[in-house]
Amino acid sequence: MSTNSTTIYINAQQNVELQSKDVYVKDIGKLTCSDAHILAKVKAVKLHSFKKGEPKRQVISLLKVIEEIDKICPGASVENIGETAVMVEYINVNKHKGPLQMLKLVFVAMISFFGTAFTIMAFHNDIGINDVFAKVYEMVMGQPGDGYGILELAYSLGLAIGIIVFFNHIGGRRITKDPTPIEVEMRVYETDVNKALIETADREGKTMDVQ
Amino acid sequence: MILKQILLGIIGVSSGLIVSAGVFTVLISVGLIPRFAGKMHVARKIFILEEMVVFGTLFGGFFSIFGDWGMIGEFVKKHRIFGESATEGVWNLIGTLFLLMFGVFAGIFVGCLALAIAEMLNTIPIFARRIGFRHGLGIAILAVALGKLTGSLIYFTQQMFLYGG
Repeated sequence: MSTNSTTIYINAQQNVELQSKDVYVKDIGKLTCSDAHILAKVKAVKLHSFKKGEPKRQVISLLKVIEEIDKICPGASVENIGETAVMVEYINVNKHKGPLQMLKLVFVAMISFFGTAFTIMAFHNDIGINDVFAKVYEMVMGQPGDGYGILELAYSLGLAIGIIVFFNHIGGRRITKDPTPIEVEMRVYETDVNKALIETADREGKTMDVQ
Repeated sequence: MILKQILLGIIGVSSGLIVSAGVFTVLISVGLIPRFAGKMHVARKIFILEEMVVFGTLFGGFFSIFGDWGMIGEFVKKHRIFGESATEGVWNLIGTLFLLMFGVFAGIFVGCLALAIAEMLNTIPIFARRIGFRHGLGIAILAVALGKLTGSLIYFTQQMFLYGG
């Protein structure tokens, strides 16, 4: 290695969404280099361009990226501190806006609402909650109760507190700064999907890779 | 007397807390709502979905525990909320729409939940591997869905719920 060689560091992302049809090196992650001139040159290296009728997803191997960079800047060494393959998705600009998006949100919100309502009702029905409460009431008080008492109220209160503590927010306000369980699960799910897509592309030989 | 009431209160709050934690751990660990959000690309609005989960559970919890206080239909019809003559028709329409909505969305949720739990135990991948299954996964899934539909229809039409579990 010559003494004047520069190192280009790349922190490649697992998944990037683009709104332009051309994929440049700057799109796949963060880059740094001690030489600003080389950095600008490397960032502008074109990797791929989405054509009409082609799949809107492309997995690009980092080896391919390094090869492309090497063509432009021979002698510079490239260090990747991120992922080994990047999934690039070409998306329409207004995918995250518009009335259709609102409709989808309402749809999913409805499923969440009625689904969980049904689940908890089915659970209560399953365990015969009113019988259980009647029995507990009789055991404690020594006589059967009439109507709903403190036990039912306290249980409902506990249920509400439990859910709110579990989900960590109420009415749009977070109780603590931690992410909520669904947010955590969402990230896990996204990572899993990306990994599966990258591996499938690899298996089917659709990854942009060195020969 | 008051001590006993306090004891009942403590039992109630504690069981409520644990039940909600238990039920929701199952719901979260099968990852149903993240999946819906991912499919529909509404991941940015996940807060609203969580709110809906919270209110859905409170709604369901209230009506299944205080069943006798939840007789809205009876109340509306007795007090003639929409006027003397119109109440019956108006409320029947509203009620039918609500039942339709409840049925469809709860059905979607339960259908997804059932398969999500099956998937969590890796039944489908393991089975597919054992019998050397390569193609036609789509048909297999369609068959599962049709089987569930048929089973559900048989359950309700043959009144199997009368026989108990």
